[in-house]
Amino acid sequence: MNQILFGVIATLGVLAALGTVLARNLVHAALFLVAFFFLVACQFVMLEAEFLAAVQVLVYIGAVAIILMFGIMLTRNIQGDDTTTVSKAGFISGGLAAAGLLAVLVFGILDDEGRTGRAGWRDVTTRPAVYPVAARASAEQTKAVNNMGFVVGRELLTRYLIPFEVAGVLLTAALVGAIALAVQDGPSTDDPAERAKKAAEHTAAAETEPQLTSA
Amino acid sequence: MHDIPLTWFLIFASACFVIGLLGVLVRRNAIAVLMAIEIMLNAANINIIAFWRYSVPGPEESPVSGPMLAIFVITIAAAEVAVGIGLILLCYRRRASADVDQYDSLSG
Repeated sequence: MNQILFGVIATLGVLAALGTVLARNLVHAALFLVAFFFLVACQFVMLEAEFLAAVQVLVYIGAVAIILMFGIMLTRNIQGDDTTTVSKAGFISGGLAAAGLLAVLVFGILDDEGRTGRAGWRDVTTRPAVYPVAARASAEQTKAVNNMGFVVGRELLTRYLIPFEVAGVLLTAALVGAIALAVQDGPSTDDPAERAKKAAEHTAAAETEPQLTSA
Repeated sequence: MHDIPLTWFLIFASACFVIGLLGVLVRRNAIAVLMAIEIMLNAANINIIAFWRYSVPGPEESPVSGPMLAIFVITIAAAEVAVGIGLILLCYRRRASADVDQYDSLSG
């Protein structure tokens, strides 16, 4: 049952990823990407990390995909022109590189011998049982799987306090950086008269644009 | 009821990573490249969580080391997308194109 479910989710996930990469229309690609994020969240549920699945949906689908949508809307080249089409030679060489990497990775995964005293990856067919507290699992691990939000919050403020603070600084820097990049050069438009002038220029430009395209 | 072998998750993650790599290599639109990078980051996260769930942490180790690493990866990815979109919009304003092949002013 679990295996069938995994097969369905994995197949859909690979198809969604392929759709993201190969779709000509960027909006379609972004929608495929949302589907892929959701299927990755499903995989987290299969791995009993429900808290991470919630974080995945909130951060990736709620924030990252929307930012990407805004980026697509603010740049014009959505469909059909040079920037979205893929040249045949580039596709073949890129596909060869990707297929080669996939072969190496799959060979490495299936051929793993494991460190001394440990089973290789291919021999790990069952996850360690945690509920009820099993022989090898500690009470801590059981709690980490069954009540992950609690344990993550506690660990973030004790063992992972420094990385947590550094991540906060990084997010602040990214916020300031994104604003600094997006700021338009040119004179300030705080003056109402100047703003009205700019708006008039803008409408004038918009009126002349149809003539330009029809000519 | 049979459990899922660890290698299935690893192979799924590597397939997604390779698809993301393909996207980075063949797409020319900068936003499509950014999306492919997100696919690669998600594949890495699946790997991290699979290894975490299929192993037993030592007595001195954190019981949530895998999810913690994945949460930090998600944080970095969010920051990266925000800055990346800002950069792409800036380049788009300068060159009126989101084509990564035209952003070559740093090449010799």
